[in-house]
Amino acid sequence: MKIHIGPKPQNTPLRQWDGPMTRELVQRPGEFGLGSVPEVKAPDATTESVCGYCATGCSLKVHLKDDVAINLSADKSYPVNIGMACPKGWESLAPLAATDRATTPLLRNSAGELEPVSWEVALKEMVSRFGKIKDEAGGESLSWLSTGQIPSEEMAFLGSLCKFGIGMLHGDGNTRQCMATAVVAYKGSFGFDAPPYSYADFEESDVLVFVGSNLCITHPIMWQRVMRNKRKPEIVVIDPRRTETAMAATRHLPLSPKSDLVLFYAVARLLIENDWLDHDFINASTNDFDDFKRFLLENDFSLETAAKQTGLEEDSIFDLARLIGSGKRVSIWWTMGVNQSYEGTRVAQSLINLALMTGNIGKPGSGANSITGQCNAMGSRLFSNSTNLLGGHKFTSEEHRQKVAGILDIPVDRIPQEDSWSYDRILEGVEQGKIRGLWIVATNTAHSWINQNRWNRLREKLDFLVVQDMYHSTETAQMADLVLPAAGWGEKEGTFINSERRIGRTRKVSRSPGQALADFHIFQLVAHYWGCGDMFKRWTSPEEVFKLLTELTENQPCDITGIPSYEKLEESGGIQWPLPSGTNEFEKERRLFEDGKFFHPDQRARFVYSEPQPLAEPTDKEFPFTLLTGRGSSSQWHTQTRTSKSDVLRKLYPANVYVEINPEDAQRLGIKSEDPITIRSRRGSIIASAHLTPITPVGSVFAPMHYREVNQLTLSSFDPHSRQPSYKACAVEIRKADRF
Amino acid sequence: MISELQSPIDDETPIDRLLREQNRLQTPVAKFSEKFDSGEADANFRELIPLENPKPGEQFAFEVDLDRCTGCKACVAGCHSLNGLEENETWRDVGLIQGLSNGKGYQQTVTTACHHCVDAGCLNGCPVNAYEKDPVTGIVLHLDDQCIGCQYCVLKCPYDVPKYSERLGIVRKCDMCYSRLSVGEAPACVQSCPTEAIRIVTVDKESLTKESVDPSKPAFLPAAPHQSYTLPTTSYVSDRDVPADAKAGDETVLRPQHPHWPLIIMLTLTQASVGVTGAAVAWSGFGVGLFVASSLLAGVGLAASVLHLGQPLRAWRVFLGLTHSWLSREIVVFGAFAPMLFLLTGLQFTTLQDKVPGAFGWLAFLVGLTGVFTSVMIYADTQRAFWKFERSALRFFGTTLIAMGAGGWIVSGHISAALWLVAGVLAKFCLDALGWLDALDNEFTPDKHSALIQLTREPEVVVVRWLLSFIGAAMVLFIPTIPYALGGAVLLLGGEIAERYLFFRAVAASKMPGGIRA
Repeated sequence: MKIHIGPKPQNTPLRQWDGPMTRELVQRPGEFGLGSVPEVKAPDATTESVCGYCATGCSLKVHLKDDVAINLSADKSYPVNIGMACPKGWESLAPLAATDRATTPLLRNSAGELEPVSWEVALKEMVSRFGKIKDEAGGESLSWLSTGQIPSEEMAFLGSLCKFGIGMLHGDGNTRQCMATAVVAYKGSFGFDAPPYSYADFEESDVLVFVGSNLCITHPIMWQRVMRNKRKPEIVVIDPRRTETAMAATRHLPLSPKSDLVLFYAVARLLIENDWLDHDFINASTNDFDDFKRFLLENDFSLETAAKQTGLEEDSIFDLARLIGSGKRVSIWWTMGVNQSYEGTRVAQSLINLALMTGNIGKPGSGANSITGQCNAMGSRLFSNSTNLLGGHKFTSEEHRQKVAGILDIPVDRIPQEDSWSYDRILEGVEQGKIRGLWIVATNTAHSWINQNRWNRLREKLDFLVVQDMYHSTETAQMADLVLPAAGWGEKEGTFINSERRIGRTRKVSRSPGQALADFHIFQLVAHYWGCGDMFKRWTSPEEVFKLLTELTENQPCDITGIPSYEKLEESGGIQWPLPSGTNEFEKERRLFEDGKFFHPDQRARFVYSEPQPLAEPTDKEFPFTLLTGRGSSSQWHTQTRTSKSDVLRKLYPANVYVEINPEDAQRLGIKSEDPITIRSRRGSIIASAHLTPITPVGSVFAPMHYREVNQLTLSSFDPHSRQPSYKACAVEIRKADRF
Repeated sequence: MISELQSPIDDETPIDRLLREQNRLQTPVAKFSEKFDSGEADANFRELIPLENPKPGEQFAFEVDLDRCTGCKACVAGCHSLNGLEENETWRDVGLIQGLSNGKGYQQTVTTACHHCVDAGCLNGCPVNAYEKDPVTGIVLHLDDQCIGCQYCVLKCPYDVPKYSERLGIVRKCDMCYSRLSVGEAPACVQSCPTEAIRIVTVDKESLTKESVDPSKPAFLPAAPHQSYTLPTTSYVSDRDVPADAKAGDETVLRPQHPHWPLIIMLTLTQASVGVTGAAVAWSGFGVGLFVASSLLAGVGLAASVLHLGQPLRAWRVFLGLTHSWLSREIVVFGAFAPMLFLLTGLQFTTLQDKVPGAFGWLAFLVGLTGVFTSVMIYADTQRAFWKFERSALRFFGTTLIAMGAGGWIVSGHISAALWLVAGVLAKFCLDALGWLDALDNEFTPDKHSALIQLTREPEVVVVRWLLSFIGAAMVLFIPTIPYALGGAVLLLGGEIAERYLFFRAVAASKMPGGIRA
């Protein structure tokens, strides 16, 4: 049996079943494996391209007509998303058509206004202004801030151009704001920045522990994989708020903000006290366990103390330890609740420790797994040439510099011998007048950087600020001396590396507006005008650069010398690193460390830990609330430069800034839903709309990060190891305001 | 200069060459698509749609598993893209309910589209039968080329489903992807939900009706409009404790509605016209002035109503809905009233002036009153609290009463006319004042919603509305010279127009629970 309905009746004079308006919505078989598609948007070809928003790395099937994208749907055959996409992915084409696209270079004129100029004028101005600063104060007085949003090939070009070509010393990316903590944690524990999992582990776990992660909203397509788990898993969510993910979990531990390190040390101690350990794994594959054990037993990480500090029941902490030590397949996943913390590196390592103690690494459904934020944050970690030398190498290693110089065919003395400053240090450098020229690419510092008012002041210290972006309207572009118009996702070629280390191809399917150029082309031009074009004579196309990048990874943990071309990537549904040359057969979904060998010289993982530190800005009488920040909805992305350009996405999130407050607190302060309220921290004061909800705990308020105002409140405090800003907690005061 | 950036074309600068390259799109290679598309992916959805047609007495319906809906909203975007909707058009929405469950915070995202009701409000209200409940599937279909764009279905649907398109001048809505189902494909929302929270099921209409009509039963989803009115077929299922008192995420968000200016003009002027006709018949012995005024009012009012329609040229079919649509009835009744009135007015200028039987005047007045009654019923039939029968009746007939009293008093000086005018103004004032008190309700009721819109969003209009009415009434009653009296009548009319603006603006339009709004 099958459904058998239709066709609809014929027209009669009194009843118009058909006509021009009806036909606007008529569907027809889409071919290309698409199912039905709207007839008015029927494609004559399709192609696949990895999405340019988050690090899930979904493949989108782009519907083309006369070579140009007219629609898209989710790719059914890609191992990551299996025919699904979140609303941002579905709406990926809308932001390309926005009216505020930068279509020509803009130079600030003597009247202080940004004025359209030719590329020729723009590039000459950039080169002469940066050149003058360099002549006066050296390469260390120039710097760049980049992004996790552009392909690896472009990142590598930017980093190489800046350091090897122009001679800059310091550059960093907005990945500092999201992933630095995971990077440092993995390097310390595993010996290399190596998230060990594949998404198949979501489906193969018996116990999934999510820490500081609202996966349902931040990575809906990863949550799809959790929902495909047929093992009836226990899902534990550890988050102060009763988020969508907490609702969907089997257990929610609503701990007090930033009490996580004590919690996980207490859990580790319970594992030891109850001997819920994998001794074989510990002996064979780790170091320093005895020291770690002593640390846990000699300090006060008792169940009682943990319960007191976290506000959780002793039983629920004990049960968590019991679950993690159950011998079942346990995977631990974390996102920004851990990374964006003043002691995030140690928290991430405390989670890695739990996985190591229980042998939950390198097995199906296991792992201590950092979920990445941006579409190519992982590419940035390997190829941005800012913190690491290209390919996960070290600037401080003579051997590495020689290797890279050899492959790139450049003089080795062009490679700096010291590490870059981190984002915060670069801005401090600007503040102190040490950095005078700054090039910001595809990120919106003026919105996203912590303690925004401080950034606003230090902009004035810069001699020359170049901003390269799709839109001339971003808060940062509006502050620039020179705006370079960039092509966006869908208007250029390259590869992204997703959260599970999968390299996937992104494609040009649309023409960029006006004179906007792919970042790749812009870097080619800057190299040419700077006079260092010869250094990049092999860098003729993204695919050529990709081949260079694969060469650079040889013998590294991220070795991808086995990927000869873009075509191979497409044929394989993306390829996870590593794939050393000579690998012919490989699984579509692979995890690391299946052999129990890690990347430290002794091939053993390390237990890394230290005493919990006090919060940089605890609440007090004057500022009695903890301000939590995070993703508002799945239809919003970061500073909203793109997601605000889609009518559909705009319908799916609140237009203006709002703050979630618990009804108990609200009642005490006389605040009703949608009332204007003032949120004041030591750094600034904003007015937002109140949303009363019991999902935010008493004593805390939550503000989505997508609204620019919010970062006027946040505190410049950083994890000492990763230099990642601590967006998640600062002290604020809440008052009812008279008006918006 | 470096060689790689040099163009093979003479004189072309590197900039020109890269701009040219930027604009070149590669011919995509479709072979990879073909390679992967073995058709197996569609098998995923086979369990999410019924295997066969509904049996007699059954129909298709959406079923939403709340435990699987986590607020990703892909269904909204997937529906939009796969159905080729306009940039700003969405047929699905995702809302939020929140509250406390077993002492813990509770929140649940809720995906919602057309409920393909057993007794669809849109269909019942449509004056031209542009809706059809498909006899096989029970899907409520909309005939886009039949629609006249009157938007009465938008008012009738308690779930805010039909969406008006300015470009097309018609409404459009979800058809459960009828054409996809007809080829065995899952609807777009079902296909695009990463967690398989939406499925199509078959429901028994009789048992659903029995369950739904009991108003003492809780709503089919907390914070959703009750099912007893249109018998929606969507079911929301959950294994968790869903708190029955959960509130919509946008419960307290004020949503002033579209004022519909042509309707404001149409309603106010036709009701005034009927009143003035009554005055002419009752007191002035068929005075020319009143008939002319009445005809003018009716003519302008009815002309304005045409401006409301997105597709006026299709409106000749309005009689089709007579058996079920109060809008059809209104159009037909006023369609009879206007010629009668114009004839009576015309006769005043002929020698037949005195030969028209009085009964004909009374008949015209009666038809006019019937027309006002149908207008009342149009709004009462939407089940919106602010438009309840007694409220709309008092407002609409009040306008008629005021016009009749004012007209009669000015022309005849009859004291009973003055009393009717005063009674009309005072009765309407009491109704408004009582409504404002609802702002003090503890619960956020529709009445409170309407009161707050008036008092916080439109306070100027509220003040102007009553200043105009009181000053206008005073001028008509106490300054017995024609210019002042006529001026007073104009102010009175202005007051009624302002009242009707608030009537549309302040109604609490019910809908499914929405998300956070700021």
